[in-house]
Formats: sequence, structure tokens, C-alpha cells
Amino acid sequence: MNHLPQAWGRPRDDVYGPYDSSYLQNNGPNQHTQQPIVTGTSVIALKFKDGVVIAADNLASYGSLARFTNVKRLRKFADTSVVGFGGDVSDMQYLDRLLNSLDIDEAYSSAGDTLNAHNLHTYLSKVLYKRRSDFNPLWNQLLVAGLDGEDMPFLASADLLGTTFSSPSLATGFGAHLAQPILRKVAPDEETAAKLSKEDAVQSVKECMKVLFYRDARSLDKYSIAVITKEGIDLKEDEKLEQQSWAFADKIRGYGTQVN
Amino acid sequence: MPHITTGPQAATQLHAKTNTRASWCLELELALACTGYDLTNSVFSPDGRNFQVEYAVKAVENGGTSIGIRCKDGVVLAVEKVISSKLLKPGANKRIATIDRHMGAVSSGLVPDGRHFVSRARDEAASWRSVYKTPITVKDLASRMGGYLQAYTLYSSVRPFGITAIVGGWDSELELPVDGQVGEGPSIGAGGKVEGKTYGGPGLYMIEPSGMYWGYYGAATGKGRQTAKAELEKLDLAAGNLSLEDGVKEAARIIYVAHADNKDKEFELEMTWISRLDGPTKGKHQEVPKELLEEAERLAKKHLEGDDDEETKEDDKPAEGDQMEE
Amino acid sequence: MFRNNYDNDSVTFSPQGRIFQVEYASEAVKQGSVVVGIVSKTHAVLVAVKRNAEELSSYQKKIIAIDEHLGLSLAGLASDARVLSNFMKQQSLSSRLTYGRAIPVSRLVTSIGDRAQTNTQHYGKRPYGVGLLVAGVDESGPHLFEFQPSGMTQEMVACAIGARSQMARTYLERNLEKFADCGKEKLIAHGLRALKESLAQDKELTVENCSVGVVGVRGEGMTAIEGFKLFDGQDVQQWLSLVTEGAEEGEGEGEGMEVDS
Repeated sequence: MNHLPQAWGRPRDDVYGPYDSSYLQNNGPNQHTQQPIVTGTSVIALKFKDGVVIAADNLASYGSLARFTNVKRLRKFADTSVVGFGGDVSDMQYLDRLLNSLDIDEAYSSAGDTLNAHNLHTYLSKVLYKRRSDFNPLWNQLLVAGLDGEDMPFLASADLLGTTFSSPSLATGFGAHLAQPILRKVAPDEETAAKLSKEDAVQSVKECMKVLFYRDARSLDKYSIAVITKEGIDLKEDEKLEQQSWAFADKIRGYGTQVN
Repeated sequence: MPHITTGPQAATQLHAKTNTRASWCLELELALACTGYDLTNSVFSPDGRNFQVEYAVKAVENGGTSIGIRCKDGVVLAVEKVISSKLLKPGANKRIATIDRHMGAVSSGLVPDGRHFVSRARDEAASWRSVYKTPITVKDLASRMGGYLQAYTLYSSVRPFGITAIVGGWDSELELPVDGQVGEGPSIGAGGKVEGKTYGGPGLYMIEPSGMYWGYYGAATGKGRQTAKAELEKLDLAAGNLSLEDGVKEAARIIYVAHADNKDKEFELEMTWISRLDGPTKGKHQEVPKELLEEAERLAKKHLEGDDDEETKEDDKPAEGDQMEE
Repeated sequence: MFRNNYDNDSVTFSPQGRIFQVEYASEAVKQGSVVVGIVSKTHAVLVAVKRNAEELSSYQKKIIAIDEHLGLSLAGLASDARVLSNFMKQQSLSSRLTYGRAIPVSRLVTSIGDRAQTNTQHYGKRPYGVGLLVAGVDESGPHLFEFQPSGMTQEMVACAIGARSQMARTYLERNLEKFADCGKEKLIAHGLRALKESLAQDKELTVENCSVGVVGVRGEGMTAIEGFKLFDGQDVQQWLSLVTEGAEEGEGEGEGMEVDS
């Protein structure tokens, strides 16, 4: 019998045939993350007159399995900004730890010169770009919501490629297709967003979360929503979609058991 | 000038040869130091002392007084900042630093060495977090920093720290969530949770240049440490009855009392505190709010004025008693 | 003959707990020509006297711009100041790159303080032989910091370091209350008057030997800044003329008298 360490815990060759140890070879290129594993779906956000609303559901999927149903994908930073995470959940946890240590560093001085949302977004996009340039990307798409240096509403996205983007409304993942058009109708440009009331903005975002739950199979009706203003962050992590109407579902044909 | 000698005999010879120097040393009452064993860190003298560490302690003894009080629901840190120049910006130049969210440190002695201490302590706290995914306890931080300071007594290529540092903090009494946790573990039983078990609490440690450290109910270092210690002892802190808010007032009073021996110099009082999670600072290390600080200073001054009269009365009698005994 | 044995390196404490090498390094600061810094609610200014090695040589630079929002002036070993200022330039640039933010002045000053401290605790290194005054603005307004070879850094309302700087400090202490509400011009004028106090009998401030650096905030909010500007040569004339004999009398505050007494 083979007692070499590489044979430990393996089926015996004489019983099961030669073991395929090709995966043990380490010649060939190094491989880092090739795909996300446990994932969060859309994050959506909308600027309004004196702040930003941001929302994401509480689901972490493992492929098509709804694996974890109470995952907080909106993370506070320094009581002034919120980061919404789409994509790989373990990479989100890594970034969360990174932000946590940054937050501690920033709080050393009591002078009140903490990083604002704009600074935070710049930092995160550099982290993401560095990782993609190392061919070891953090598989996320982020929305950073908060206030900038002039205390004006700030909203921007950064993704696994280090790409950055900014707009009065933003959505990641499925939301980019399903929610973004609705949000653009509410706030087509900065001027309109600057007139939008908080109530209208929150209402629109909640409506979008509902649409996403209707049409995105990797979504959940439990979600988190945060409103960031000069007064601080109002983060609710245990919201439930209200007034759902599935009447339209009847008419959907062409997949599953109802083939026609 | 011969510096390197071997054995006590050589030391005696050297002592004889460098007569002028010896007499200078005697003047300073440091005859022992004059054997050359005090010129290098990490070197023992024949009677087993490390003089460089002792000299580092001298640097501490000249620094402004720092104290820490461990109260039942939190910890207070306070420091007497002697104002060396009128041109200094009032209220700036903080001397008590945040190590981690729940922990602060203050030191007496060489101020830049204090900053070095803080910077290392922050690194230790951050590295603890990245390894164990939980905040470092005050005890563990004191242990790490004790080790760090001790290492600076081991080599001739470095000098010991010229500070004594007081570290205070509040270890969370709640069971902390697992870092980045997704979902929750079992509420009791196999998850390792024990019903009724309590965690955390206040922590206060003082670390000396030698690397020695102890836990304290009330700690004091710097110029006014003797007076401050005497005052701290009166508080019966071991009983664990002092509330945090009273602790703040006591700390202010003690700094004022300790400063009374050094009256000719003006000073600024700086205080920070850490309360329990349901207290005023929510387990975080923060500056004592302005209103409370001013109130504490007002009481301290009032006490000092009243004390002057009392002390003259009190002092008279026991002083006589002391003399009788001798 | 007695010799102090405790002053050969920066890793030896004297029996009194002093580190002589560090104290000697502070003496190097006093060899440098004098520099003055003052801060008000809106501005921070640096003024300095430059020295030339000989008649035909150029003057040693005394004020260095670090970033849009801050600069420093030095007294002591200029080459040590260059090492520190290069480091500061790197730090502030790195802050702008990674966070898109101007580095807070206190943080930058602390970072050079920490660097300097290392040089006082390890054998084979020597303390920096330079003192700095760092003036800058950040989110919390204008600031002035003093840096010493020991690694000590302190935030000041006003400060003077270098040769004969005690005279300048006396002037600053006497006028301390006035600084907070000064505008740019008045602040520079105070700086130059303090500088004059420290000048040797036969010396005078001229466009050749005087440098001025200014940085400030514009308007009410601290958001718009008036970037660090360095004045040298003929550009200094506008400031020097603020404190020429005639102008001072014109101010009518009798400050000239006060200074003379």
C-alpha cells in the first residue's frame, strides 16, 4: 500500500483504479478567482434633494439556491456613508473588514476629519482596480452613497474591473436592467434629483425592489434600505416588501411546467 | 577612555583610575553607576541591575502626571499637560490616544516615545483583529505592549522607552457577532454558548520602561504620582462601587491635587473615558464631553480651595504626632 | 579630566533620564536662521530670513511648498529638511491618489514626528538636525505646527525657531491676542515684525534675504482654499513695504513704539 502523504485519504489504486491527481500539479498558470460563488444580487440607489436612498435585499445565493436569507449587504462607514455590495459575498466580507479597519484608523483623531463618501469611493475603486490588475479581482459591484466634501448628495459605483461611474440613480446586477429605467424616469438628471423629496425617493426605490423581486429569480422579499442625509444614516435591515400583487404571474407562459 | 571591562575586579580598577570621574559620580550619589555598566543598554551591572532602564524611569518621573481609574461601569484616563509655552494652541495637542474603538492610552515621560508606543499599540490591536476577528482585550494588549517594551531593554542597539504608559478600555460584555457572519449559529449548546456566562468589563493596565506591567484599580505615573497614588488609595476602588461619572470627577480632582506640588507652572487637563455598552460612550473611547469636563474642573478647584484650609488644620496635628513617634 | 560619557549616541540615557544627542540636535536648529509662523482664523503664514554662504552665492531656500494646501519652513540642516519634505510630499500625494483628499495637516506632521522619534531610539541613526514650522489648511481650518528633532510636534498659534528666535517669540507672545482676527496682510506684517526683532544689529530685511509663504481659506465655509503661495525676490516687496518705517507709523496703532520699548 502507498503510504506517501499524497495518497492519504484517497481511494486505493488497487481497488478503484489509478487516482486522477492532475489537480495536484502546480505547473501551468496560477489561477485566482474565476467566478463568484455565494452571491448577492442587485443594489439600487437614488439621490434626492438632501441625501441618497440605497437598498438591497437580504439574500445570498449559492448558484440558484437561496442559501442565506439574512445577509446585510448595506454596510455603514463612519456614520456618514453606506456601501451597497453586489456580487461575491466572501469578497464583500473581505471589503467589510477592510472598511472596518479604515474606519478605526480614521477615528484615531478626534478632529472630525473622517473620509466622506467621495473619498471612500475613490479608495474602494483603487482597491478594486489594484486587485483586477493583479488578476485577482474582488468579484463585486459596489454602490457608495453618502455626502461629498461640500455636503452634497453623493452616489457612485465601482466594480470588479475598477470601473467607476456616477449618476443621480444607479443599480447593479439585474437592477441595472429592471430598476434603472424606472429610476431614470423619476430622476433623469441631477437637476431633477435635486428637487426630489425624500418620501418620493424612498417610494420609488421601494417600488423598484418590488419589481426586482417579481422578475429576478435570485432575489428576496426581505431587504435593507438606508437613507443618508446630513442628519446621519437611517438604516433599516429588516424590511419586508409590501402590497405585492402576483396577478401578472398567471399570464406568464413559456417555461417551467406550463410550456404553452 | 576605557569602556569595556570584564568582571567586578576590572570595574574596581577602573574606579580607581578614573578618580575625578568617580568623585563627580559620588556627588550625584550614583557611585554604582560609575563603573561603566550604565553606559549601554542590555548590560547588567555586577549586582544585577540594568542602569539604562533605571535612567529611562527617571525620564518618566519628570513628565506630567497621568492617571487612570477603573470604575464599575467604565474607565477614566486623565493627564496633566504642563504648558511649556504661551504660544501653544489651547486645547490642541492631545496626549491621550485611541488605540482601538474601545481602548485608550496615556503616558508620562518622553512625548515622542509615547507616540511610538501608541503607534505600535494600534498596530497590535489591528493585527489582533485581522487574526482573531475580534477586538483585542485590554489585558492582551497590555501583554503585547509589555513584550514590546521589554524587547527594547534587550539590545545595545536600542534604548528603552522613556515612558510609563497607562492603557484603559472596556472589553465588550456582549458576546460579539462573528466577523462578517452570514446567518447565526446555535443559540445555546453546541455553539459553545453557556447560559449566564458574563464577558468583558473594564480593564486598566500600567506598563513600565522595563516591560513590566500590572493591572490596576487606579494607576498613576509621572511627576505627581506619589500624591496621586495616595489620593487613589483613599477611593477604595477595589470595592468596585465608584461610578464612571464620579470617577471622572475624582480623576480631575486628583490631577489638580497632584499639580499643587508644581504650582508655578500652568497646566491643561485632558480626560477621556470608556463606558460600558449601555453607558454614555457605548463602549467607545472618547473625550470626556466639554460640560462634564468643566464641571469636574470646577469641583476640583473648589475642593483644592477648601482643602487648603482643611489641610493646614489637619496637617498641624498629625505632623506633631509623627515627630513624637520618631 | 571629566567628560560627559552619556552624549555619544542617541541610545544612551543620562542618569537624569536625558538623551544628550537629541538635545544637541536641537542646538543645530538654533544655528539656522530664524523663521516665524503665525496662524489666524483664516490664514497661516510663514516668514523667514534667508542666508547666503558668501556675497556672490545664492540664498539658502527656507520655505518649501509641500502640496496645494500646505508648506513648511525650516531652521537647521537644510538637507535633513529636504529628506523630510520629500517624505511629506510623498505622503500628501499618496493621500490625494488613494482618497482624493488633501491630507489633514496634523496627520502629516505626526508622520514625520514618528519618523524622527525612530532616529532617537536606534543605534547607528542620528536625530534630524532640523526644526520645522508647518503651515497648512484642512477641513478643520488653518493650522501651524512645530516639529523638533526629538520627534516632538506641537500645534501652535504662533512660533519662531532658529538663531536669536527668542526675541521673535517675545514679540509673538506680546501680540498673541491680535492674531486670531488678522487677515492675510496683517498676519504677514506681524510675522515680519517678529522676524525683525530677531535680526542682528547690522541686518535688515530685503527682497533678497526674505521669504514669505501664505495659505488660507476663502469665505465662510472651509471648503474653498487659497493655495499655498511662496513669495521670493521682488514678490516680497509688497509685504516688506507693509512694515517699512513709514507704513508702521501710518497704521497709527503705536505698535512701532511698543516694539521699540
